[in-house]
Amino acid sequence: MRVSLPGTAAGLLVLVGAAGSACAADGASTGEAFAWLKKMAAASRQLNYSGTIVYQHRNHVETSRVVHFVNSAGGEFEKLETLDGPAREVVRSNDQVVCYLPNVKKVLIEERNRSARNFPALVPESVHGLSESYDMSTESADRIAGHDCQWVALTPRDQLRYGRRFCAETASGLPLRAQTINETGDAVESFAFTEITIGGPFNRDRVRSRYADASKKQKWRVERSGFSGPAATPADTGWVLTSRLPGFRKMMEGKRSIAGRETISQIVFSDGLAAVSVFIEPLQQHPAGQPLSHQGAVNIYTKAHGSNVVTVLGEAPAKTIMQIGDSLQLKPLTAAVQQ
Amino acid sequence: MDAISALMDGELEADEARRQLLKVKEDRTLRTRWDDYHLIGDAMRGETALSPQFGEILARRLAAEPTVLSPRRFPSHRNRLSTYAMSAAASLGAVAFVGGMALGPTGIAVSDSSKGPTGATARTNIAGTGMPPTPALPEANVPSDGRMNEYLLAHQGFSPSTALQGIGPYIRSVSTTGQITGR
Repeated sequence: MRVSLPGTAAGLLVLVGAAGSACAADGASTGEAFAWLKKMAAASRQLNYSGTIVYQHRNHVETSRVVHFVNSAGGEFEKLETLDGPAREVVRSNDQVVCYLPNVKKVLIEERNRSARNFPALVPESVHGLSESYDMSTESADRIAGHDCQWVALTPRDQLRYGRRFCAETASGLPLRAQTINETGDAVESFAFTEITIGGPFNRDRVRSRYADASKKQKWRVERSGFSGPAATPADTGWVLTSRLPGFRKMMEGKRSIAGRETISQIVFSDGLAAVSVFIEPLQQHPAGQPLSHQGAVNIYTKAHGSNVVTVLGEAPAKTIMQIGDSLQLKPLTAAVQQ
Repeated sequence: MDAISALMDGELEADEARRQLLKVKEDRTLRTRWDDYHLIGDAMRGETALSPQFGEILARRLAAEPTVLSPRRFPSHRNRLSTYAMSAAASLGAVAFVGGMALGPTGIAVSDSSKGPTGATARTNIAGTGMPPTPALPEANVPSDGRMNEYLLAHQGFSPSTALQGIGPYIRSVSTTGQITGR
Protein backbone atom coordinates (compact mmCIF):
# COMPACT_ATOMS: atom_id res chain seq x y z
CA MET A 1 0.00 0.00 0.00
CA ARG A 2 2.65 2.41 1.07
CA VAL A 3 4.74 2.11 -2.04
CA SER A 4 1.77 3.15 -4.17
CA LEU A 5 1.48 6.50 -2.44
CA PRO A 6 4.16 8.45 -4.28
CA GLY A 7 2.49 7.17 -7.44
CA THR A 8 -0.84 8.56 -6.28
CA ALA A 9 0.69 11.93 -5.56
CA ALA A 10 2.44 12.01 -8.92
CA GLY A 11 -0.77 11.01 -10.65
CA LEU A 12 -2.58 13.83 -8.92
CA LEU A 13 0.04 16.32 -10.05
CA VAL A 14 -0.28 15.12 -13.62
CA LEU A 15 -4.06 15.50 -13.37
CA VAL A 16 -3.77 19.00 -11.93
CA GLY A 17 -1.32 19.95 -14.67
CA ALA A 18 -3.63 18.59 -17.33
CA ALA A 19 -6.58 20.49 -15.88
CA GLY A 20 -4.53 23.68 -15.88
CA SER A 21 -3.54 23.47 -19.52
CA ALA A 22 -7.02 22.39 -20.58
CA CYS A 23 -8.33 25.48 -18.85
CA ALA A 24 -5.99 27.78 -20.75
CA ALA A 25 -6.95 26.22 -24.07
CA ASP A 26 -10.67 26.23 -23.48
CA GLY A 27 -11.37 29.78 -22.39
CA ALA A 28 -14.10 30.15 -24.99
CA SER A 29 -15.75 26.93 -23.95
CA THR A 30 -15.69 28.02 -20.29
CA GLY A 31 -17.52 31.21 -21.18
CA GLU A 32 -20.02 29.28 -23.24
CA ALA A 33 -20.61 26.75 -20.46
CA PHE A 34 -21.12 29.53 -17.92
CA ALA A 35 -23.64 31.22 -20.22
CA TRP A 36 -25.54 27.91 -20.34
CA LEU A 37 -25.53 27.71 -16.53
CA LYS A 38 -27.04 31.16 -16.25
CA LYS A 39 -29.59 30.28 -18.90
CA MET A 40 -30.50 27.11 -16.96
CA ALA A 41 -30.98 29.02 -13.71
CA ALA A 42 -33.14 31.65 -15.42
CA ALA A 43 -35.25 29.04 -17.24
CA SER A 44 -35.84 27.04 -14.05
CA ARG A 45 -37.08 30.20 -12.36
CA GLN A 46 -39.06 31.89 -15.12
CA LEU A 47 -40.67 29.21 -17.28
CA ASN A 48 -43.94 27.40 -16.90
CA TYR A 49 -43.39 23.68 -17.30
CA SER A 50 -44.74 20.34 -16.17
CA GLY A 51 -43.41 16.85 -16.60
CA THR A 52 -42.32 13.53 -15.19
CA ILE A 53 -38.92 13.36 -13.59
CA VAL A 54 -36.93 10.28 -12.66
CA TYR A 55 -34.62 10.52 -9.66
CA GLN A 56 -31.95 7.86 -9.57
CA HIS A 57 -29.27 7.21 -6.99
CA ARG A 58 -27.30 4.01 -6.49
CA ASN A 59 -29.87 1.32 -7.23
CA HIS A 60 -32.80 3.42 -6.17
CA VAL A 61 -35.22 4.91 -8.71
CA GLU A 62 -38.14 7.20 -7.94
CA THR A 63 -40.52 8.88 -10.35
CA SER A 64 -42.31 12.16 -9.65
CA ARG A 65 -44.57 14.65 -11.34
CA VAL A 66 -43.28 18.20 -11.22
CA VAL A 67 -45.05 21.42 -12.14
CA HIS A 68 -43.59 24.93 -12.16
CA PHE A 69 -45.64 28.07 -12.73
CA VAL A 70 -44.92 31.76 -12.57
CA ASN A 71 -47.83 34.16 -12.14
CA SER A 72 -48.12 37.58 -13.77
CA ALA A 73 -46.59 39.23 -10.68
CA GLY A 74 -43.51 37.05 -10.99
CA GLY A 75 -44.47 34.81 -8.07
CA GLU A 76 -43.11 31.27 -8.31
CA PHE A 77 -45.14 28.18 -7.52
CA GLU A 78 -44.02 24.61 -7.92
CA LYS A 79 -45.07 21.18 -6.89
CA LEU A 80 -43.45 17.78 -6.75
CA GLU A 81 -45.63 14.74 -6.32
CA THR A 82 -44.04 11.30 -5.92
CA LEU A 83 -45.50 8.53 -8.05
CA ASP A 84 -43.61 5.60 -6.48
CA GLY A 85 -43.77 4.39 -2.91
CA PRO A 86 -45.69 6.28 -0.23
CA ALA A 87 -47.46 9.38 -1.57
CA ARG A 88 -45.60 12.58 -0.78
CA GLU A 89 -45.89 16.13 -2.05
CA VAL A 90 -43.57 19.11 -1.89
CA VAL A 91 -45.12 22.47 -2.70
CA ARG A 92 -43.12 25.66 -2.97
CA SER A 93 -44.80 29.06 -3.02
CA ASN A 94 -42.12 31.72 -3.30
CA ASP A 95 -40.26 31.57 0.01
CA GLN A 96 -42.20 28.77 1.61
CA VAL A 97 -41.65 25.07 1.04
CA VAL A 98 -44.23 22.65 2.43
CA CYS A 99 -43.81 18.87 2.48
CA TYR A 100 -46.96 16.78 2.89
CA LEU A 101 -46.40 13.28 4.25
CA PRO A 102 -49.82 11.60 4.29
CA ASN A 103 -48.50 8.22 5.47
CA VAL A 104 -47.40 9.73 8.77
CA LYS A 105 -49.94 12.58 8.73
CA LYS A 106 -47.25 15.19 8.97
CA VAL A 107 -46.56 18.55 7.35
CA LEU A 108 -43.07 20.04 7.26
CA ILE A 109 -42.88 23.77 6.59
CA GLU A 110 -39.63 25.48 5.70
CA GLU A 111 -39.84 29.26 5.67
CA ARG A 112 -37.13 31.37 4.13
CA ASN A 113 -36.66 34.97 5.17
CA ARG A 114 -35.96 37.88 2.89
CA SER A 115 -32.22 37.82 3.35
CA ALA A 116 -32.14 34.14 2.52
CA ARG A 117 -34.10 34.80 -0.65
CA ASN A 118 -31.42 37.17 -1.84
CA PHE A 119 -28.85 34.58 -1.05
CA PRO A 120 -26.10 35.23 -3.59
CA ALA A 121 -25.14 31.62 -4.19
CA LEU A 122 -28.58 30.76 -5.56
CA VAL A 123 -27.42 31.62 -9.04
CA PRO A 124 -23.90 30.78 -10.12
CA GLU A 125 -22.75 34.34 -9.72
CA SER A 126 -19.33 34.47 -11.25
CA VAL A 127 -17.47 32.52 -13.85
CA HIS A 128 -14.31 33.25 -11.93
CA GLY A 129 -15.53 31.75 -8.65
CA LEU A 130 -16.76 28.61 -10.39
CA SER A 131 -13.76 28.09 -12.63
CA GLU A 132 -11.55 28.17 -9.55
CA SER A 133 -13.07 24.82 -8.62
CA TYR A 134 -14.36 23.39 -11.90
CA ASP A 135 -13.27 23.02 -15.46
CA MET A 136 -16.36 24.07 -17.40
CA SER A 137 -17.09 22.94 -20.92
CA THR A 138 -19.86 22.33 -23.38
CA GLU A 139 -20.10 18.83 -24.78
CA SER A 140 -22.24 17.11 -27.38
CA ALA A 141 -25.81 17.87 -28.34
CA ASP A 142 -28.38 15.27 -27.31
CA ARG A 143 -32.09 14.61 -27.22
CA ILE A 144 -34.00 13.98 -23.99
CA ALA A 145 -37.74 13.45 -23.56
CA GLY A 146 -38.22 14.48 -27.19
CA HIS A 147 -36.38 17.77 -26.81
CA ASP A 148 -33.03 18.79 -28.26
CA CYS A 149 -30.54 19.63 -25.54
CA GLN A 150 -26.94 20.62 -24.98
CA TRP A 151 -24.63 18.87 -22.51
CA VAL A 152 -22.69 21.15 -20.20
CA ALA A 153 -20.04 19.63 -17.93
CA LEU A 154 -18.38 20.88 -14.78
CA THR A 155 -15.36 18.75 -13.98
CA PRO A 156 -13.89 19.29 -10.52
CA ARG A 157 -10.28 20.40 -10.26
CA ASP A 158 -9.79 18.43 -7.05
CA GLN A 159 -11.42 15.60 -5.11
CA LEU A 160 -13.23 17.89 -2.68
CA ARG A 161 -16.26 18.10 -4.93
CA TYR A 162 -18.32 16.09 -7.34
CA GLY A 163 -18.53 16.70 -11.07
CA ARG A 164 -21.82 17.82 -12.61
CA ARG A 165 -23.31 17.34 -16.05
CA PHE A 166 -26.45 19.02 -17.31
CA CYS A 167 -28.31 18.66 -20.56
CA ALA A 168 -30.08 21.95 -21.12
CA GLU A 169 -32.99 22.24 -23.55
CA THR A 170 -31.52 24.02 -26.56
CA ALA A 171 -34.22 26.65 -26.99
CA SER A 172 -35.12 27.52 -23.39
CA GLY A 173 -32.11 26.35 -21.39
CA LEU A 174 -34.26 24.28 -19.03
CA PRO A 175 -32.13 21.42 -17.65
CA LEU A 176 -33.71 18.16 -18.80
CA ARG A 177 -31.13 15.96 -17.21
CA ALA A 178 -28.68 16.54 -14.37
CA GLN A 179 -26.02 14.13 -13.17
CA THR A 180 -23.65 14.19 -10.24
CA ILE A 181 -20.43 12.33 -10.97
CA ASN A 182 -17.98 10.95 -8.42
CA GLU A 183 -14.22 10.64 -8.71
CA THR A 184 -14.39 7.28 -10.44
CA GLY A 185 -16.68 8.70 -13.10
CA ASP A 186 -19.89 7.06 -11.86
CA ALA A 187 -23.15 8.95 -11.54
CA VAL A 188 -24.02 9.02 -7.83
CA GLU A 189 -27.28 10.74 -8.61
CA SER A 190 -29.27 11.70 -11.65
CA PHE A 191 -32.45 13.62 -12.36
CA ALA A 192 -34.02 13.23 -15.80
CA PHE A 193 -37.25 14.30 -17.38
CA THR A 194 -38.89 11.45 -19.26
CA GLU A 195 -41.67 13.69 -20.48
CA ILE A 196 -42.04 17.46 -20.29
CA THR A 197 -44.30 20.24 -21.54
CA ILE A 198 -42.69 23.66 -21.62
CA GLY A 199 -45.00 26.67 -21.61
CA GLY A 200 -48.75 26.84 -20.95
CA PRO A 201 -50.82 29.23 -18.85
CA PHE A 202 -50.51 29.73 -15.07
CA ASN A 203 -52.80 27.40 -13.17
CA ARG A 204 -52.83 27.80 -9.39
CA ASP A 205 -54.75 24.57 -8.84
CA ARG A 206 -51.99 22.49 -10.35
CA VAL A 207 -49.45 23.77 -7.86
CA ARG A 208 -51.70 23.27 -4.81
CA SER A 209 -51.35 20.16 -2.67
CA ARG A 210 -54.19 17.69 -2.77
CA TYR A 211 -53.60 17.30 0.97
CA ALA A 212 -53.87 21.03 1.74
CA ASP A 213 -57.42 20.75 3.09
CA ALA A 214 -57.25 17.26 4.59
CA SER A 215 -54.08 18.10 6.51
CA LYS A 216 -55.86 21.03 8.18
CA LYS A 217 -59.15 19.24 8.84
CA GLN A 218 -57.51 16.13 10.21
CA LYS A 219 -55.00 18.22 12.15
CA TRP A 220 -51.84 16.61 10.82
CA ARG A 221 -48.77 17.34 12.88
CA VAL A 222 -47.13 20.52 11.59
CA GLU A 223 -43.41 20.98 12.05
CA ARG A 224 -42.13 24.47 11.32
CA SER A 225 -38.59 25.33 10.36
CA GLY A 226 -37.01 28.56 9.35
CA PHE A 227 -35.41 31.80 10.31
CA SER A 228 -38.56 33.44 11.66
CA GLY A 229 -38.63 32.06 15.22
CA PRO A 230 -37.94 34.22 18.28
CA ALA A 231 -34.31 33.07 18.51
CA ALA A 232 -33.62 33.44 14.79
CA THR A 233 -30.78 35.75 13.94
CA PRO A 234 -28.73 36.08 10.79
CA ALA A 235 -25.60 36.35 12.84
CA ASP A 236 -22.40 34.96 14.17
CA THR A 237 -23.03 31.52 15.64
CA GLY A 238 -19.71 31.36 17.47
CA TRP A 239 -18.55 28.38 15.40
CA VAL A 240 -15.68 28.39 12.95
CA LEU A 241 -13.78 26.00 10.74
CA THR A 242 -10.19 25.58 11.82
CA SER A 243 -9.01 24.56 8.37
CA ARG A 244 -9.95 26.21 5.11
CA LEU A 245 -11.41 24.14 2.31
CA PRO A 246 -10.15 25.32 -1.10
CA GLY A 247 -12.93 26.83 -3.21
CA PHE A 248 -15.57 26.78 -0.47
CA ARG A 249 -16.67 30.11 0.96
CA LYS A 250 -19.05 30.84 3.81
CA MET A 251 -22.33 31.97 2.27
CA MET A 252 -24.63 32.21 5.25
CA GLU A 253 -24.55 31.90 9.00
CA GLY A 254 -27.40 32.19 11.45
CA LYS A 255 -29.60 30.80 14.17
CA ARG A 256 -32.80 29.11 13.09
CA SER A 257 -35.46 26.62 14.06
CA ILE A 258 -35.93 23.12 12.72
CA ALA A 259 -39.20 21.28 13.32
CA GLY A 260 -40.00 23.65 16.16
CA ARG A 261 -36.66 23.17 17.88
CA GLU A 262 -35.14 26.62 18.38
CA THR A 263 -31.55 27.85 18.48
CA ILE A 264 -30.04 25.58 15.91
CA SER A 265 -27.06 27.16 14.19
CA GLN A 266 -26.66 26.78 10.45
CA ILE A 267 -23.59 27.74 8.45
CA VAL A 268 -23.59 27.25 4.69
CA PHE A 269 -20.43 26.87 2.62
CA SER A 270 -20.49 26.83 -1.17
CA ASP A 271 -18.09 26.67 -4.08
CA GLY A 272 -20.68 28.31 -6.33
CA LEU A 273 -22.29 25.02 -7.36
CA ALA A 274 -22.26 22.59 -4.45
CA ALA A 275 -23.32 23.66 -0.98
CA VAL A 276 -22.58 22.16 2.40
CA SER A 277 -24.63 23.03 5.48
CA VAL A 278 -23.36 22.66 9.02
CA PHE A 279 -26.04 22.37 11.69
CA ILE A 280 -25.16 22.67 15.36
CA GLU A 281 -27.90 21.70 17.74
CA PRO A 282 -27.85 21.44 21.55
CA LEU A 283 -27.59 17.76 22.38
CA GLN A 284 -30.89 16.23 23.55
CA GLN A 285 -29.59 12.73 23.34
CA HIS A 286 -26.60 11.13 21.77
CA PRO A 287 -26.93 11.03 17.99
CA ALA A 288 -28.50 7.71 17.02
CA GLY A 289 -28.01 5.87 13.77
CA GLN A 290 -25.08 5.87 11.42
CA PRO A 291 -22.55 8.70 11.71
CA LEU A 292 -22.14 8.71 7.95
CA SER A 293 -25.01 8.24 5.51
CA HIS A 294 -26.15 9.56 2.17
CA GLN A 295 -29.25 10.67 0.33
CA GLY A 296 -28.38 10.55 -3.34
CA ALA A 297 -25.52 12.95 -3.95
CA VAL A 298 -25.92 14.41 -0.47
CA ASN A 299 -23.57 12.92 2.10
CA ILE A 300 -24.47 13.32 5.76
CA TYR A 301 -22.12 13.23 8.74
CA THR A 302 -23.28 13.41 12.35
CA LYS A 303 -21.13 13.65 15.44
CA ALA A 304 -21.30 14.83 19.00
CA HIS A 305 -19.26 17.91 19.84
CA GLY A 306 -19.25 18.68 23.53
CA SER A 307 -22.86 19.34 24.47
CA ASN A 308 -23.93 19.69 20.83
CA VAL A 309 -24.69 17.44 17.96
CA VAL A 310 -23.11 18.53 14.71
CA THR A 311 -24.70 17.48 11.41
CA VAL A 312 -22.88 18.29 8.20
CA LEU A 313 -24.53 17.58 4.86
CA GLY A 314 -24.25 18.61 1.29
CA GLU A 315 -23.81 17.47 -2.29
CA ALA A 316 -20.10 16.81 -1.87
CA PRO A 317 -18.00 13.67 -1.32
CA ALA A 318 -18.11 12.12 2.16
CA LYS A 319 -14.47 13.06 2.66
CA THR A 320 -15.26 16.76 2.24
CA ILE A 321 -18.29 16.56 4.52
CA MET A 322 -16.26 14.84 7.25
CA GLN A 323 -13.38 17.25 6.87
CA ILE A 324 -15.75 20.15 7.48
CA GLY A 325 -17.40 18.41 10.44
CA ASP A 326 -14.09 17.54 12.04
CA SER A 327 -12.59 21.00 11.70
CA LEU A 328 -15.56 22.74 13.32
CA GLN A 329 -14.71 24.46 16.59
CA LEU A 330 -16.21 27.01 18.93
CA LYS A 331 -14.36 30.29 18.77
CA PRO A 332 -12.27 30.47 21.96
CA LEU A 333 -13.84 33.70 23.25
CA THR A 334 -17.38 32.50 22.69
CA ALA A 335 -16.54 29.21 24.33
CA ALA A 336 -15.37 31.02 27.42
CA VAL A 337 -18.54 33.10 27.51
CA GLN A 338 -20.77 30.06 27.18
CA GLN A 339 -19.11 28.22 30.05
CA MET B 1 -17.60 -10.20 -32.20
CA ASP B 2 -15.71 -12.23 -29.64
CA ALA B 3 -16.92 -15.24 -27.75
CA ILE B 4 -17.33 -13.45 -24.42
CA SER B 5 -19.65 -10.86 -25.83
CA ALA B 6 -21.57 -13.56 -27.70
CA LEU B 7 -21.82 -15.52 -24.47
CA MET B 8 -23.14 -12.50 -22.60
CA ASP B 9 -25.70 -11.82 -25.28
CA GLY B 10 -26.90 -15.42 -25.13
CA GLU B 11 -25.92 -16.02 -28.73
CA LEU B 12 -24.00 -19.25 -28.21
CA GLU B 13 -25.34 -22.78 -28.43
CA ALA B 14 -25.59 -24.56 -25.07
CA ASP B 15 -22.45 -26.69 -25.63
CA GLU B 16 -20.37 -23.78 -26.84
CA ALA B 17 -21.65 -21.62 -23.96
CA ARG B 18 -20.60 -24.27 -21.44
CA ARG B 19 -17.15 -24.47 -23.01
CA GLN B 20 -16.78 -20.69 -22.89
CA LEU B 21 -17.91 -20.51 -19.29
CA LEU B 22 -15.27 -23.06 -18.32
CA LYS B 23 -12.65 -21.02 -20.14
CA VAL B 24 -13.77 -17.86 -18.38
CA LYS B 25 -13.50 -19.68 -15.08
CA GLU B 26 -9.91 -20.67 -15.77
CA ASP B 27 -8.53 -17.76 -17.73
CA ARG B 28 -7.90 -14.60 -15.73
CA THR B 29 -7.77 -12.37 -18.82
CA LEU B 30 -11.12 -13.64 -20.01
CA ARG B 31 -12.58 -13.15 -16.55
CA THR B 32 -11.42 -9.53 -16.53
CA ARG B 33 -13.00 -9.03 -19.92
CA TRP B 34 -16.22 -10.65 -18.69
CA ASP B 35 -16.23 -8.20 -15.73
CA ASP B 36 -15.46 -5.26 -18.00
CA TYR B 37 -18.25 -6.09 -20.42
CA HIS B 38 -20.74 -6.39 -17.61
CA LEU B 39 -19.53 -3.12 -16.19
CA ILE B 40 -19.93 -1.43 -19.56
CA GLY B 41 -23.39 -2.93 -19.93
CA ASP B 42 -24.34 -1.74 -16.44
CA ALA B 43 -22.95 1.70 -17.14
CA MET B 44 -24.88 1.95 -20.40
CA ARG B 45 -28.05 1.05 -18.57
CA GLY B 46 -27.14 3.45 -15.79
CA GLU B 47 -26.93 0.65 -13.23
CA THR B 48 -23.55 1.42 -11.76
CA ALA B 49 -23.93 0.21 -8.22
CA LEU B 50 -20.25 -0.43 -7.64
CA SER B 51 -17.18 1.43 -8.73
CA PRO B 52 -15.22 -0.09 -11.63
CA GLN B 53 -12.35 -1.05 -9.34
CA PHE B 54 -14.64 -2.52 -6.70
CA GLY B 55 -13.41 -6.08 -7.09
CA GLU B 56 -9.81 -5.00 -7.13
CA ILE B 57 -10.18 -2.70 -4.13
CA LEU B 58 -12.08 -5.32 -2.17
CA ALA B 59 -9.41 -7.91 -2.92
CA ARG B 60 -6.69 -5.49 -1.84
CA ARG B 61 -8.56 -4.65 1.34
CA LEU B 62 -9.03 -8.30 2.14
CA ALA B 63 -5.35 -8.95 1.57
CA ALA B 64 -4.44 -6.05 3.84
CA GLU B 65 -6.96 -7.11 6.48
CA PRO B 66 -4.89 -7.92 9.56
CA THR B 67 -5.35 -10.77 11.98
CA VAL B 68 -5.37 -8.04 14.56
CA LEU B 69 -6.74 -9.94 17.50
CA SER B 70 -4.10 -12.63 17.49
CA PRO B 71 -1.80 -12.15 20.49
CA ARG B 72 0.91 -14.12 18.74
CA ARG B 73 1.30 -11.47 16.11
CA PHE B 74 1.34 -8.66 18.61
CA PRO B 75 3.33 -10.01 21.52
CA SER B 76 4.34 -6.69 23.00
CA HIS B 77 2.09 -5.27 25.69
CA ARG B 78 2.00 -1.89 24.03
CA ASN B 79 0.77 -3.18 20.73
CA ARG B 80 -1.94 -5.21 22.39
CA LEU B 81 -3.13 -2.15 24.20
CA SER B 82 -3.37 -0.26 20.98
CA THR B 83 -5.40 -3.12 19.57
CA TYR B 84 -7.89 -2.80 22.40
CA ALA B 85 -7.91 0.95 22.03
CA MET B 86 -8.64 0.34 18.42
CA SER B 87 -11.62 -1.82 19.30
CA ALA B 88 -12.89 0.92 21.54
CA ALA B 89 -12.64 3.30 18.66
CA ALA B 90 -14.16 0.72 16.37
CA SER B 91 -17.16 2.78 15.40
CA LEU B 92 -14.99 5.72 14.44
CA GLY B 93 -12.64 3.44 12.60
CA ALA B 94 -15.51 1.81 10.78
CA VAL B 95 -16.84 5.17 9.74
CA ALA B 96 -13.49 6.21 8.47
CA PHE B 97 -13.10 2.91 6.70
CA VAL B 98 -16.50 3.03 5.04
CA GLY B 99 -16.41 6.70 4.29
CA GLY B 100 -12.90 6.54 3.01
CA MET B 101 -11.75 9.30 5.24
CA ALA B 102 -8.49 10.76 4.06
CA LEU B 103 -8.22 13.76 6.26
CA GLY B 104 -5.48 16.27 6.02
CA PRO B 105 -4.88 19.63 4.47
CA THR B 106 -3.67 18.26 1.17
CA GLY B 107 -6.06 15.37 0.79
CA ILE B 108 -3.09 13.20 -0.13
CA ALA B 109 -2.71 10.35 2.28
CA VAL B 110 0.68 10.15 3.93
CA SER B 111 1.38 7.14 6.05
CA ASP B 112 5.03 7.32 6.99
CA SER B 113 4.00 6.86 10.61
CA SER B 114 2.82 3.31 9.93
CA LYS B 115 5.36 0.92 11.34
CA GLY B 116 4.37 -2.33 9.77
CA PRO B 117 2.98 -3.75 6.61
CA THR B 118 -0.17 -5.10 8.25
CA GLY B 119 -3.36 -3.11 8.41
CA ALA B 120 -3.19 -3.01 12.22
CA THR B 121 -1.12 0.11 12.37
CA ALA B 122 -3.04 1.53 9.50
CA ARG B 123 -6.32 1.12 11.30
CA THR B 124 -4.89 2.60 14.45
CA ASN B 125 -3.98 5.55 12.31
CA ILE B 126 -7.53 5.93 11.11
CA ALA B 127 -8.78 6.00 14.66
CA GLY B 128 -6.04 8.42 15.56
CA THR B 129 -4.85 11.39 13.62
CA GLY B 130 -3.27 9.69 10.65
CA MET B 131 -4.76 8.67 7.38
CA PRO B 132 -5.67 5.34 5.87
CA PRO B 133 -3.09 4.18 3.38
CA THR B 134 -5.71 2.23 1.46
CA PRO B 135 -7.47 3.91 -1.46
CA ALA B 136 -10.57 5.69 -0.27
CA LEU B 137 -14.08 4.60 -1.15
CA PRO B 138 -15.63 7.79 -2.39
CA GLU B 139 -19.02 7.74 -0.68
CA ALA B 140 -20.90 6.85 2.42
CA ASN B 141 -22.50 3.50 1.83
CA VAL B 142 -25.38 3.72 4.27
CA PRO B 143 -28.55 5.25 2.90
CA SER B 144 -30.13 7.97 5.02
CA ASP B 145 -32.95 6.55 7.13
CA GLY B 146 -35.32 9.50 6.86
CA ARG B 147 -34.25 10.99 10.19
CA MET B 148 -32.23 13.56 8.28
CA ASN B 149 -35.11 14.75 6.13
CA GLU B 150 -35.72 17.90 8.16
CA TYR B 151 -32.06 18.85 7.87
CA LEU B 152 -32.11 18.05 4.15
CA LEU B 153 -35.11 20.34 3.80
CA ALA B 154 -33.36 23.09 5.76
CA HIS B 155 -30.32 22.77 3.51
CA GLN B 156 -31.95 22.39 0.12
CA GLY B 157 -32.93 26.01 -0.40
CA PHE B 158 -29.33 27.14 0.03
CA SER B 159 -27.90 24.94 -2.68
CA PRO B 160 -27.08 26.58 -6.00
CA SER B 161 -28.07 23.28 -7.67
CA THR B 162 -31.63 23.91 -6.52
CA ALA B 163 -31.60 27.19 -8.40
CA LEU B 164 -30.51 25.30 -11.50
CA GLN B 165 -32.87 22.37 -11.17
CA GLY B 166 -36.04 23.67 -9.59
CA ILE B 167 -38.03 21.55 -7.17
CA GLY B 168 -36.70 18.16 -8.34
CA PRO B 169 -33.92 17.83 -5.72
CA TYR B 170 -36.46 18.44 -2.93
CA ILE B 171 -37.39 14.79 -3.30
CA ARG B 172 -34.33 14.10 -1.15
CA SER B 173 -36.05 15.74 1.81
CA VAL B 174 -39.10 13.47 1.61
CA SER B 175 -37.05 10.34 1.13
CA THR B 176 -38.47 7.07 2.36
CA THR B 177 -35.36 4.99 1.73
CA GLY B 178 -35.09 2.77 4.80
CA GLN B 179 -37.47 5.14 6.47
CA ILE B 180 -37.91 5.54 10.18
CA THR B 181 -40.98 7.70 10.31
CA GLY B 182 -41.63 10.35 12.89
CA ARG B 183 -39.13 11.71 15.31
